[in-house]
Amino acid sequence: MTTVEMPVPRQARKRDRWSLPDNGYRGMLAVTAVAFVALAVWFLVAVILQAAPAFSTLGFGWIFGGVWNPSHGQYGLLPFIVGTLESTAIAVALAFPIGLGTAISLAFLVPARIRPYLSTAVELLAAVPSVVYGLWGLIVLAPIFRDTVEPVLTSVFGWTGLFNGPNNGPSLLLAGVILFIMILPTMVAISRDVLIVVPVEQVEGAMALGATRWQVLRKVVLPGARTGILGAFTLATGRALGETVAVAMVIGNSPYLAHSLKSSAATIPSLIVNNFPESTGTELSALFGAGLVLLVIGTLVNSAARWLVWSTGQENAGIGVGR
Amino acid sequence: MTAVLDVPVDPNVERRLAVQAAASSSLRRRKMGSVVAMGVCWLFLAIAIVPLVAVVVYVTSKGLSAWTTDFFTKSTTPEGVAGGGVWNAIVGTVVITTIATAVAVPLGLLCGLFLAESDGRAAQALRFTADVMTGIPSITVGIFGYIAIVRNFGYSGLAGSFAVGFIMLPVIIRAGETAFRGVPRSLNEAAMALGARRATIARRVVVPTALPGVITGVLLAIARGLGETAPLLLTIFGNQYLQWNPTKPMAALPTLIYSYSGQPYADLVQVAWGAALLLMAVVLVLSIGSRLLAAYLRKERR
Amino acid sequence: MRTRNANLSKTGRRAAPLVALGLAGAALLSACSSSTSAPTTTTTAPPGGTLSSGNAAFLAADLKAPAGTFNASGSTFVQPFFNSAFFKYTSLNQGLQVNYQGVGSGAGITAFEGGSVAFAASDVPMGASDLAKVPAASGPVVQIPDILGGVAIAYNLPGVTGRVRLDAPTLAGIFDGTITTWNASQITALNPGVTLPAHVITPEVRADSSGTTYIFTDYLKSANPTAWTLGTSKTIAWPAGFAQTPKNSGVAASILSSPYSIGYVELSYAIKNNMTYAKVKNSAGTYVVPSLATVAADADQKTNVSATDFSIVNQPGATSYPISGYSWAILLQKQTSATTGAQVVKVLDWTTHTGGGQDLATALDYVMLPPAVQNQNRIQLLTVTGPTGQTLLTK
Repeated sequence: MTTVEMPVPRQARKRDRWSLPDNGYRGMLAVTAVAFVALAVWFLVAVILQAAPAFSTLGFGWIFGGVWNPSHGQYGLLPFIVGTLESTAIAVALAFPIGLGTAISLAFLVPARIRPYLSTAVELLAAVPSVVYGLWGLIVLAPIFRDTVEPVLTSVFGWTGLFNGPNNGPSLLLAGVILFIMILPTMVAISRDVLIVVPVEQVEGAMALGATRWQVLRKVVLPGARTGILGAFTLATGRALGETVAVAMVIGNSPYLAHSLKSSAATIPSLIVNNFPESTGTELSALFGAGLVLLVIGTLVNSAARWLVWSTGQENAGIGVGR
Repeated sequence: MTAVLDVPVDPNVERRLAVQAAASSSLRRRKMGSVVAMGVCWLFLAIAIVPLVAVVVYVTSKGLSAWTTDFFTKSTTPEGVAGGGVWNAIVGTVVITTIATAVAVPLGLLCGLFLAESDGRAAQALRFTADVMTGIPSITVGIFGYIAIVRNFGYSGLAGSFAVGFIMLPVIIRAGETAFRGVPRSLNEAAMALGARRATIARRVVVPTALPGVITGVLLAIARGLGETAPLLLTIFGNQYLQWNPTKPMAALPTLIYSYSGQPYADLVQVAWGAALLLMAVVLVLSIGSRLLAAYLRKERR
Repeated sequence: MRTRNANLSKTGRRAAPLVALGLAGAALLSACSSSTSAPTTTTTAPPGGTLSSGNAAFLAADLKAPAGTFNASGSTFVQPFFNSAFFKYTSLNQGLQVNYQGVGSGAGITAFEGGSVAFAASDVPMGASDLAKVPAASGPVVQIPDILGGVAIAYNLPGVTGRVRLDAPTLAGIFDGTITTWNASQITALNPGVTLPAHVITPEVRADSSGTTYIFTDYLKSANPTAWTLGTSKTIAWPAGFAQTPKNSGVAASILSSPYSIGYVELSYAIKNNMTYAKVKNSAGTYVVPSLATVAADADQKTNVSATDFSIVNQPGATSYPISGYSWAILLQKQTSATTGAQVVKVLDWTTHTGGGQDLATALDYVMLPPAVQNQNRIQLLTVTGPTGQTLLTK
């Protein structure tokens, strides 16, 4: 990477007086980066310190136990790990295609005049507080799921073995769908923004070659927006992994491994929010340990997403001001 | 747009016709594929609108009747006392979110710039950290705020701002970086060719060009910050009375909603829905305002 | 001497006392220097006891507490009552504001142990392990009941009119998973003439730690000593297949939207949400509908409660509703600040007495403390001292 050193004309120098010299600028950015990292480290250390007693008393295997029953000294996290992964998977499996499709519609298909209204409308969903989603899910969606959606899904997909058992309102499926609705605005809004900024010359060039709209999208726009879409995906997944109050209200809070999408389950955040206020001693440490496990899960999910993008090859459309 | 094939003149007309036929059938296939794909996108848009309409209608139907003058101007009163409102919670939410935004946005955008400019090991580690941080449960952030701030300094609005800011920060960083990376390389290189310093380039080229994306990211973060309940539950304590001082316990709309919606008394539940509707209205206003702002800025530059 | 009159009407209990006697509190009263009326026993003495005279004087003095503000936290159950009472108190003594937040009993106790609140409220008093966490330097802890409530068994049975009757063994069977259908023989035997559907029962229970769970399981254990094996606790390891929802409001919403479900909720939720709730058989063999009066009747049967003996479930008496319990206010006996200490004891004294905060209870569907319990509260609050050892609750 070469930097261009040129003599600066007088006028430009005058305007430049108000700008930090390059070192100062880079220094300032570095300071903020360090501050951010310090904050993250502080958080990590605090959680580890609180979780340490559980690990020192119980070792490490307790995480993978299948039962959470503090009064019997059992702190198994497996049902909650599985519940977290499954509910997030449902949410993301729905939000990624639907969110991306909506973003494409908003960026290219919808008439320009109503585009801002629809975009604002989708962003509104981000404003609804978590507890409202929980209440709406419990009061409105749960009966619909129990009486309509689940029977239909069972009759169509029952052969997959994912829909065994009775029709419940609050369930993994409902929690996944509520999470999907909650992360949709993030997926849509950020994807839409990165789709719009793909260089117009590339789009026009492809069209000049006779590509159809879909081909333009698939071959030019989406690859160009790949990193941005990954960013949207990451933020959306993060929100789904960490969502607490809404999930606690619609997932049924069963501390046992869920055998089907229709059964009650629990996630690590719902476990923490339900038990934290009253917990003490080993149970409290175990809850912090659960938080650490969730961090590990988040790390793994992010690594997997990154690897997926990297391995399918991508050009970094960065601003590349200098290395 | 039809494809024009540049076929050299061939005395064998049949062959030319065959190639043209193949081209147009390929075109037909590609066009159909495109129509199907676009149809799917429209379908997905329709699917996305359904829960939106459902939730907005539900919250509006339950909350609108709570919107009286008293609702906006008076502080909370207990069950059985008429004429109460959520003014103290509005004040609390505004103060807490403003402080959180004032700290998280500059810090987050600068980190986003840092990440957008470099791809070194440090930047990759930072990006990864920010990504993982978006996945931290809001309750854990609240607990961290309790351990870090409340245990040492007591319940306060500032502790709430700390926790909310902690949640907003990675969102702003990632959304900001995404927006900054969307600025075409050519613009930056042109600026460098003119001899501009990095800071100047950032200030005059990158940020203005990325502004729409930045505004979206900041708006999403603020919307999230306005509605987050769990971090506030453990840090601000709540206040039945009006409190402007962020170093004291304060009320806030999300915690009020959480608390009142759990009450058996219908009028308190209604206040909760009114407050939820208010949060949505605030984000609506912010969203419209930010679009107007972005459009105005774009016109200014042209 | 304790007098019992099982046929006493509820108005008789609340009527102005002609001849007075507190119950077991009498023994404490006579030992205390500020004792009131001379003990006499008559057959018309209400089982809940009578307020000691001098109440009005104490209440008047309570309203003269020093100005300022303090924080308190704990039980979400008492939050509406406390908010209402403290609001009324501030309207009468405008300098003093009490900021009470219902963050949960356990969170309140934790805050109290850490010194961040002036008093805590909990549906279950602090036990030995909790008390051990209070720093020794802070001194002993005073715990007094502040309000009374009941737990209703609410259910959702389409097509069944009238109240279903349930008894302790049946409830134990439903909530430990052994009775699984509505038309099980144990349930139909209790409800002759009612056609119960042959549908699976969905028990609705609390996902989070809860005083309501404690009172309900306390009742189940006390009424079924051998059959109920899931224990008495704020958190229970319910069998798989039970629907678990956080908060009373969550359980209530769940029951209302799930046909064939049954669960336990605080009485105020059952009343305000127009839920259908069961008649429960009490220890006298009568099927009792939970109401403010029947909960009060149960509490009246045992007024000598304390932090170490606080269960009032399953009391005798034909009109007693067996699933009832107090909620408790917790404060330090040795207050470090004379001002805050005076504020706290006076507010609590005003809140826990008739003529003060207790008058607001009924409108909110809470049950007033029996007079004998109120008397005991005052005795306890009189033991609270300031930094120089002075009594803070003055007349």
